[in-house]
Amino acid sequence: MLSTLFSFFYQFGDAFAFLVIASMGLAIIFGMMGVINLAHGEFIMCGAYTTVSLAQLGLPLPLAIIGGAAVAGLIGMLLEVTIIRHLYHRPLDSIVATWGLSMIATQGVLIVLGSTMQGVGTPLGSFTVGGFSYSTYRMVLMGIAVLLLVGLYLLFYHTRAGVIARATIQLPRMARATGVDTGRVYTLTFGLGAALAGLAGGLYAPTMTLVPTMGATFMVESFVTVVIGGGDIFLGAAPAAAILAVIRSGMTAWQGQLFGQIGLLITVIIVIRVLPGGLSGWILGGRK
Amino acid sequence: MILQTKGLCKRFGGVHVARNIDFGIEAGEIHCLIGPNGAGKSSLFRLILGAHRPDSGSILFRGEDVTGLPSFARIRKGMSVKFQVPGIFKDLSVRQNLVISFQHHLHGHDLEATIQRVLAFAGLEGLEEQAAGTLSHGRQQWLEIGMAVGVEPQLLLLDEPTAGMSPEETRQTGEMLRALNAQGVTILAVEHDMSFVQQIADRVTVLHFGEIFAQGSVAEIISHPGVADIYLGATDD
Amino acid sequence: MTGPGNSGLSVGPSLIDATPKRQRNTLALWLSRLEGPQTIGRGRGFWITFVLAVLAAAIYPMFVDGWTVGNTAYFLVWTFMAMGLGVIWGYAGSLSFGQTAFFGLAGYGYGVLTLNFGAAYGFTLLALVLAVGLAALLAVVLGYFMFYGRVQGVFIGIVTLSVTLVFQAFMAQTAGPEWAIGAARLNGFNGMSGMPPLTIPWPGGDVLLYADIALYYVLLGLMLLVYLGLRMLLNAPFGNVLVAIRENPERAEMLGYDVRRYQLLGFVLGGALAGLSGVLYTAWGQYITPSSMSITAAALPVIWVAFGGRKDVTATLIGTLVMIFLYQWLTIYGSQYAIVVMGVILVLTVLFAPEGIVLSLMRWISARLKPAGGRA
Repeated sequence: MLSTLFSFFYQFGDAFAFLVIASMGLAIIFGMMGVINLAHGEFIMCGAYTTVSLAQLGLPLPLAIIGGAAVAGLIGMLLEVTIIRHLYHRPLDSIVATWGLSMIATQGVLIVLGSTMQGVGTPLGSFTVGGFSYSTYRMVLMGIAVLLLVGLYLLFYHTRAGVIARATIQLPRMARATGVDTGRVYTLTFGLGAALAGLAGGLYAPTMTLVPTMGATFMVESFVTVVIGGGDIFLGAAPAAAILAVIRSGMTAWQGQLFGQIGLLITVIIVIRVLPGGLSGWILGGRK
Repeated sequence: MILQTKGLCKRFGGVHVARNIDFGIEAGEIHCLIGPNGAGKSSLFRLILGAHRPDSGSILFRGEDVTGLPSFARIRKGMSVKFQVPGIFKDLSVRQNLVISFQHHLHGHDLEATIQRVLAFAGLEGLEEQAAGTLSHGRQQWLEIGMAVGVEPQLLLLDEPTAGMSPEETRQTGEMLRALNAQGVTILAVEHDMSFVQQIADRVTVLHFGEIFAQGSVAEIISHPGVADIYLGATDD
Repeated sequence: MTGPGNSGLSVGPSLIDATPKRQRNTLALWLSRLEGPQTIGRGRGFWITFVLAVLAAAIYPMFVDGWTVGNTAYFLVWTFMAMGLGVIWGYAGSLSFGQTAFFGLAGYGYGVLTLNFGAAYGFTLLALVLAVGLAALLAVVLGYFMFYGRVQGVFIGIVTLSVTLVFQAFMAQTAGPEWAIGAARLNGFNGMSGMPPLTIPWPGGDVLLYADIALYYVLLGLMLLVYLGLRMLLNAPFGNVLVAIRENPERAEMLGYDVRRYQLLGFVLGGALAGLSGVLYTAWGQYITPSSMSITAAALPVIWVAFGGRKDVTATLIGTLVMIFLYQWLTIYGSQYAIVVMGVILVLTVLFAPEGIVLSLMRWISARLKPAGGRA
C-alpha cells in the first residue's frame, strides 16, 4: 500500500519536476515580455550540450550544469540585443523570428557536431521501495523544481532587481521616468529565461540522449504549461504544472509517454475553451 | 421606451460599478449620461453594449430581453456605437471603413449611394481613398460617427463623442447629432463637456458611485443642488 | 473649413429597404471581385502580365523533359497550403504554426482510403474530397475550441504547433503491425507508401496522374482556380470582414460581425487548403511520412508566406514558388544547409521587410508605374 502510494508520488513528482523545469524559462519570457520563445528548445539543447562537454572535461556535474545555464543565458542576452529587441512592438513577428533562430541553431549544431553526442550517465544510482527501483537523481530533480519556484518567487518579489523588473513590465513609461534602464531589464529578463532553459537542458542532460533536435521533446510540455498557466508564473505556470503532472503521470502510467503528451494536448484544448485567461486569469478572479 | 435596464448590477473586485440601475431611454430623444470620473458611466455604456455582462439585472432593447446576447447580436438588432478613442480601421481607406460598416445591410447601388451620402455628411468628400489613420483627429471621429449611422440605427451609443475635439469641431458635431436626431435616430451619449450636453440633450441622467443620482431635463439637472456638489466633491481628476 | 454638412444624410426609404437588389447578375458580380481593395493588381497591365505568366507556365513542359516537369509539379503541390496560411495569418490575422497537421491528416487520409478501396471509377478523386473534408473537420473542431475560447494570437500558434508535433510523434510510433486501418499499414517512422496516384476516369481507361506532364497541367489548373477563387472571395464581403478582424477585432464585433465565426471560417478554409496540399503531395510521390508534420516542416509554410507577404494572395503565391525553388536548388548542396538558409531568410525578412519581400517589391513597382495613382 505504502509502496503504491510512493510509486504514485514518484510518478507525479517526476512529471511535475519536468513540467516546471522545462517551462520556467518559457514562462518568464512570456509572462514578462509577451514573447513566446520558439527557440526555447534550442536553449535547452545548448545547456545540455555545454553541460555534457564541461563534464567530459572533468568539471563536477553541478558546476557543469551551472556552466550550461550560464552559456545559454549569455547567448540569450546576445540575441535579445541583436534581434528580439527590435520586435517588441510586433509580438507575432518576434515569435516567428525566434522560430528562425531555432531552425538555424538545430541545423547548425547538426552540421557542426553531428547527429548525436556522447552523453554522461545518470548519477546517484537508485534506491528501492517495495520491490521497485527508483532513480535518486530524479528525486533530486523534484527538489530542484521546488527550489527553483521558491527562488524565482524570492527574486521577483523580494529583491530590488525583481521589483524593478516587474515595474518595468507593468508600467514601462513610469519605470523609464524614474531612471530605470528598461532596455537592460528586457535583456536581463530574456537572458534569465534563456539561462533557465539552459538549466533545464543541463539538469536533464544526464537522463537523455543528446541530439540536435532534443529541444523539440521539451516543446509540447512547456507550451501546454504556459498556455494553461497564462501570464503569471506563480499563480499560473506552477499550479498548471501540478494539474498537468497528474494528467501526464496518469496517462503515461496507463498508456505510455506518447499518450501522456496527447492527454496534455487535449486538456489544453479544452481548457482554453473554458478558461480563456488561463489558470492565472481564473485565479486572479478576472471576469469571464 | 427603446432601451430599459432593470436592477442592473456589476462589480469588479470589490467595486460596484453599477448598483441596481433602473434606467430608460425614450424613442426619439437625445439622452446624455454624465457624472464625475469613476461614476460608472463607461461601465453602464459597456453593459448596454454587451462588452460586459451584468452580475444581475436585465437589459431590454425594443421590448426584447438582450441581457444574454453577445455584442454583435445587439448591434444586429439596431444598436450602433461610436467609441471615445476613434474605433476605425486605421490602415484601411476611408471607403473601406464605410464598406465594412454597411455591407451586411446594403449592396451594389444602395451601398454606393449610402457611402456617398455619409462622405458628404461627415465632411469627408474627396478623402475616400486616404488611409483612415492619416485623417485629422476630428475627421476620424466624424468618420466613426458616419460608420455608426450610415445604416439607420434604432439607437446610437456615443462614448464621449467630442473627446479631443476643438470647440469648433465640437459645435459641428453637436449640429451633426441634432440633424441625425431630427431624422429619427435615438441617441445615448456619455459626455464630460457640460456645454455640449446643454447643446444637444433632451434628458440627462447623472451617475454617482455606480448609482443613478438624478435624472431630468438639462434645466432641471443644472438647477439641481446636489449635482454641482458631487462634481465639486469629486477629488480625482 | 470643411465641416460636416447638417442635412447631407437623408435616411430615406432606400436605406431601410429590406430587399437589396443587385444591379448586376451574380456571375458578373463575382467576376468584378477579381480586383478589389484586398488584393494587389488591377487593370490591364496586371492581367496582361497574369496571362503571359500563365501562358509561359502552359508551354513550359515543351522545353524540358518529363522528369523535370514532374519535379515542377511538386512545387505547385505546396502552393495551396501557403495560400491557405495566407488567408488565416495575412487576412484574418491569426497565425497558425501547425498547418502541417491538416496536411498530414489529409495525406494519411488519402492513403488509407485508396489503399483500402483502390483507384477504380475515379475513387481517388472521391478520396481527395473526403481527405480534404477530414482536414476541414479537424480545423472545425480545433478552431471551435480556440476561437470560441477567445484565445489570443500567440496561443493559436502554440496550440496548432503542439497539435502537429503530437500528431507527428503519434504517427512515428505506429511501426507495429497492429497499427493498420483496414489494408493500410501506418508503418511508423518510415511512413505509408504504395497508394495510387490521382486518376481521372476516362472512356477507354482511367488517366493515371503520375508525377509527369498530365499531373503538372492538372495542378496548374487547380492552382489558378484556387488563386482566382481566393481573389474573388477576399474581395467579397467575407474578405472585408476578415481584414476588419485583423485590423481591429473589437470594432468588427461592434459593427455586428460574429468575429469568432468568421475566424473559424477562415481557419477552416486554410485548413482545407493545407489538406489539399497534403493529398496532392501524397498522390504525387505515393508516400507520406510523419516528418511531413515535424517542426521543420511546420516552419516552411510560415517562411514562404512571411517571405512573400502574407497580406496579399499574389505575393504569397509568388513568394512560395520562389522559396520552394530556392530550397530545392540549395538541397543540391545538402538539405541541412538549405534549412539554415531558410532560417536566416526568415529572421532577415521579419527584421527588415516585415510586410514580406515580394509584397514590398510589388508595392514599389506599382508605385513606380503609377507615381500619381492611388494603387496600393
